[in-house]
Amino acid sequence: METNQRLTDDHFPENPEKATLDGKNKFLGFWLFLGGETVLFATLFAVYIGLRDNHMDGPSAKELFQLPTVFLATMLLLTSSLTSVYAVLALKQNKVKSMIGWFLVTLLLGLGFLGLEVYEFIEYVHEGHTFTKSAFSSSFYTLVGFHGGHVLFGCLWLVTLLLRNWNRGITLTNAPKYYLFALYWHFVDVVWVFIFTVVYLMGKVG
Amino acid sequence: MSTLASHSKKSGLMDWLTTVDHKKIGILYLVAGGLFFIIGGIEAMFMRIQLFKPENDFVSADMFNQLLTMHGTTMIFFAAMPLIFAFMNAVVPLQIGARDVAFPFVNALGFWLFFFGGVMLNASWLLGGAPDAGWTGYAPLSTTSLGSGVDFYVLGLQISGAGTLIGGINFLVTIINMRAPGMSFMRMPLFTWTSFVTSGLILFAFPPLTIGLFMLMFERVFDANFFNPDNGGNILIWEHIFWIFGHPEVYILILPSFGAISEVVSTFSKKRLFGYSAMVFATVLIGFLGFMVWVHHMFTAGLGPIANSIFAVATMAIAVPTGVKIFNWLFTMWGGKIVFSTAMLWAVGFIPTFVMGGVTGVMLAIPSADYQFHDSYFVVAHFHYVIVGGVVLGLFAGLYYWYPRMFNRVLNETLGKIHFWTFFIGFHLTFFPQHFLGLMGMPRRVFTYLSGQDLDDLNLISTVGALLMAVGTIVLFINVIISTSKKYAPSEDPWNGRTLEWAIPFPTPEYNFAQTPLVRGLDPFWLEKMAGNKKMTPAEPVGDIHMPNGSILPLFMSIGLFVAAFGAIYKSILVGVIGLAITFLCMFLRSVIDDHGYHIHKKEVEEDMKEGRS
Amino acid sequence: MADHTKTEQPVHRNEALHRKIAIKEERKYHNVSFIMMILLTLIAFYAIWSDKVSSSFAILFILVLAVIQVFFQLYIWMHLSHKGHDFPLWGMISGILIAAITVAGIAGLIWTS
Repeated sequence: METNQRLTDDHFPENPEKATLDGKNKFLGFWLFLGGETVLFATLFAVYIGLRDNHMDGPSAKELFQLPTVFLATMLLLTSSLTSVYAVLALKQNKVKSMIGWFLVTLLLGLGFLGLEVYEFIEYVHEGHTFTKSAFSSSFYTLVGFHGGHVLFGCLWLVTLLLRNWNRGITLTNAPKYYLFALYWHFVDVVWVFIFTVVYLMGKVG
Repeated sequence: MSTLASHSKKSGLMDWLTTVDHKKIGILYLVAGGLFFIIGGIEAMFMRIQLFKPENDFVSADMFNQLLTMHGTTMIFFAAMPLIFAFMNAVVPLQIGARDVAFPFVNALGFWLFFFGGVMLNASWLLGGAPDAGWTGYAPLSTTSLGSGVDFYVLGLQISGAGTLIGGINFLVTIINMRAPGMSFMRMPLFTWTSFVTSGLILFAFPPLTIGLFMLMFERVFDANFFNPDNGGNILIWEHIFWIFGHPEVYILILPSFGAISEVVSTFSKKRLFGYSAMVFATVLIGFLGFMVWVHHMFTAGLGPIANSIFAVATMAIAVPTGVKIFNWLFTMWGGKIVFSTAMLWAVGFIPTFVMGGVTGVMLAIPSADYQFHDSYFVVAHFHYVIVGGVVLGLFAGLYYWYPRMFNRVLNETLGKIHFWTFFIGFHLTFFPQHFLGLMGMPRRVFTYLSGQDLDDLNLISTVGALLMAVGTIVLFINVIISTSKKYAPSEDPWNGRTLEWAIPFPTPEYNFAQTPLVRGLDPFWLEKMAGNKKMTPAEPVGDIHMPNGSILPLFMSIGLFVAAFGAIYKSILVGVIGLAITFLCMFLRSVIDDHGYHIHKKEVEEDMKEGRS
Repeated sequence: MADHTKTEQPVHRNEALHRKIAIKEERKYHNVSFIMMILLTLIAFYAIWSDKVSSSFAILFILVLAVIQVFFQLYIWMHLSHKGHDFPLWGMISGILIAAITVAGIAGLIWTS
């Protein structure tokens, strides 16, 4: 059985992402990696929480943050998480076109989120909230920027994945890759849930 | 059925640069780790020569700072870590009856990242001076250090840290998913168990280091303010992050040594390990508690009595599972038919030495006493007792024990014993007096001392001991060179082994096991031998064996990051972009080129079996 | 080794039907959890926006909402509750535990002295 052969409906395993040992290994390895990423972001959060009140003569979190932008960004990312779930459901039913379609929507939403973030950062810099301004600004840009970097990496990953497998259908080789991407994307959304709560909403309360 | 991609045997250098075979990667780790061990050892010798008499001027104060920083960083990250990965690679897949690790490509990438990280760090010697802020890189020493030494420290560790992290994930997945039939968790050899827990610690301890190094880099390169009190920063953040990583790191180092000692003690006492399940439980508990004690490195930072007390109690609690281990080793030997081979000598030497390190550890865990010991030679003595007397002695035991498996040669026993006695006596001569130097008030990391303070004699003794350790190490290298002669080819199963790595002939076939073995209990090979079988019972018929293809990409990915790091240090965007482009191009190639490996045909395997090669 | 697959046998028609039902069920769960997550987000934003909740309570409140939302993500969308997720679950629990210690340690201990 070739692992990069297009799977047909008659021979479609229930969990194509875990049908080979290679797939099982990737699945587990990636989950463990996400466990490590949890600690990575926790460290960034810890630093931010420790330093967020020290804005020196720059604007404070309360003066700075614009909740409508943040709310819009949150909705974009949350919806993109849903669309990637739909893509995985399509994957499990061997519906290639529907899967690619949902992933494309995910990609667009992700890019929209990135656009908003860039716009937001530019605004903040104009208001004197530069990276070198204070401990607050350094830790803010590092935390939110690390998350943005993850979104950007996810977009590049998804583009590569889609281009490479555009005409290949679902195979036992690419099914785990699609599945792993979806996991990654959910995780990025999980981190964002804490960012909008701890950074933006708690920043407004002070 | 089969996907027989053409695979041509590569020869010589190219084979080593492209290999994804865990056995060869193990050898690469051992050689590279050995190289950095020598470099770190030479740095240590320079420091001891500087300190052998009061007001010596062998090296300048500035040079001494660089030496102590590089000695610590090199020994922890580029000698001890790779040597541990060397044995994990060489032994773990064999012990669990697997044909390779879960991600052979990632395994190779992990090695090359570590290697270029080490080269990066050491390149600083030639490029304007090494880092001089201590291996702990405390802010503000590290943020204000002039020159680019600390930048080399940051980027070298960042690159090698990424390699270590993916290596850890690889071994976790390997041990969870790739065990042979019957090899349940509670039948895994102790070395595999300790490797498993160590890999888990790597997974959760290295991310904080990554962030800490990023912050330090941003602080130095982009003027961030994390550690700058003038702009609202806080220097304690670095200490916390560093030790949240740093304390688990020392357990990452010691646990595999515990594992190696367990294998050696059991094999050379001809008894199954006493209290196996207690040993497993103790290993897991040490790993867990390792994350709860980091503040004991910061007792004098002024976190207050409550924080200090909590972390003091947690620290002392670790003595309990460690004590369980010590007693179990003793009880394993009790009533056993002990053979004092060289490997066993190292293991027996390890036990009292490590206990001494543990006792001073409990002394240091008392906050009020720590105010006296902190930053004195007492601390230096303590951590050398646990890291040299613990980790290194365990690694030497493992080296003599597994050398036949790795190189198809045994090491000469007489030379091995000379190595042991010179190194062991030299070690105690070097570090035992340092306890008293510390209690007498000699601070650590200081390049000289005045005469007439009763520090002269003990420092002289310490330096003589260091020379003796160097002699021992030279004897080891002579031994390694001699072992290449044919005379030292091992008999089958040279130590009358108990675990699966001894159930295969020499040299180890590229696919490890012609047929995956069926495991029927703890110490599976011993069980089969006791049942009168010469070989393991197979769990599958002979068939085609799937193998991964070698690849040059891991090497180039690492070179790309290496180049990009130079771009960051010398603030050349062009160089940085070129480096990252190389890395991303390799990643892109890796993801678009399907590589399904090749198959070794059933016929070839059968032929190997007939001629006793597998 | 890596190409041992379970796809040699064709999928039985009965099984195909079972799967279809299961996926339909799953889609329902996903939709419900999406609506729940939108609601949780709205409540969190409203709690801060409206300024009607006292700030110390609001912080605790929105943190609890965030934790619930993450639970939805991990268990429903990332399928942590499904069979064969024992080790991923262990990995995540350990990661979250160490993450909590890290945050408490760093954020709690740097300004005490």
